[in-house]
Amino acid sequence: MSAAVSYAVWALLGVALLGLWARSRSAGSTVARPAVVVERLATGPLLRVALVAWWMFTGWHFFAR
Amino acid sequence: MVPATEHHAGWRTSALLAAGAAYALGAAATTAFTLPADVMTGLPIVALAVLVVARWPLRPRPLQLAPDARGTHPYRAWGALLAVIVVWELVLYLARGSRGAHPTLSSMADALDRHYILKALVFFGWLSLGALIVLKGTQANAPSSTPAETP
Repeated sequence: MSAAVSYAVWALLGVALLGLWARSRSAGSTVARPAVVVERLATGPLLRVALVAWWMFTGWHFFAR
Repeated sequence: MVPATEHHAGWRTSALLAAGAAYALGAAATTAFTLPADVMTGLPIVALAVLVVARWPLRPRPLQLAPDARGTHPYRAWGALLAVIVVWELVLYLARGSRGAHPTLSSMADALDRHYILKALVFFGWLSLGALIVLKGTQANAPSSTPAETP
């Protein structure tokens, strides 16, 4: 697999992310907005632990180690 | 005329955003694998842990869908996209060959971190997400909202 293919798939996933975000903002959409997704995760008994652990890990991994 | 409480909340939000931006600019000036980077990254992590313990309810009430949203699957698309991203990340991580040919999120973040302003923006985004997580978990006992209504 070449780097071009890898980056192309990442780009497609990025476009899908933006598209989903835009769709969630449209009137009458059945797709939850990102803040609602975060709220659902932050109010789940186990999901909130995973969410906090993921946030801590990404910060430490990306910026410190 | 803006009520005093809203005015006060607006100032508080602006002050928090300014403080977060200043902190991100400072953190972006550090280099990974050094003590300053550890400290600048570790402080928000400790702060979030303290805030979560202090502000989140012990037994949260999961967000419920509004009656007119029952039968819909507002989180399904996000879950599916997340699953595809995780699978693609694993495929690239486990692939044989150079990281350049198989870029993971980490390696792309490393490339981004070489540019001061981009690193500051990503750090600010990370801080903002942490603040949103604390805020949304704190509102566990607030009236539930429909997926498309809450900003």
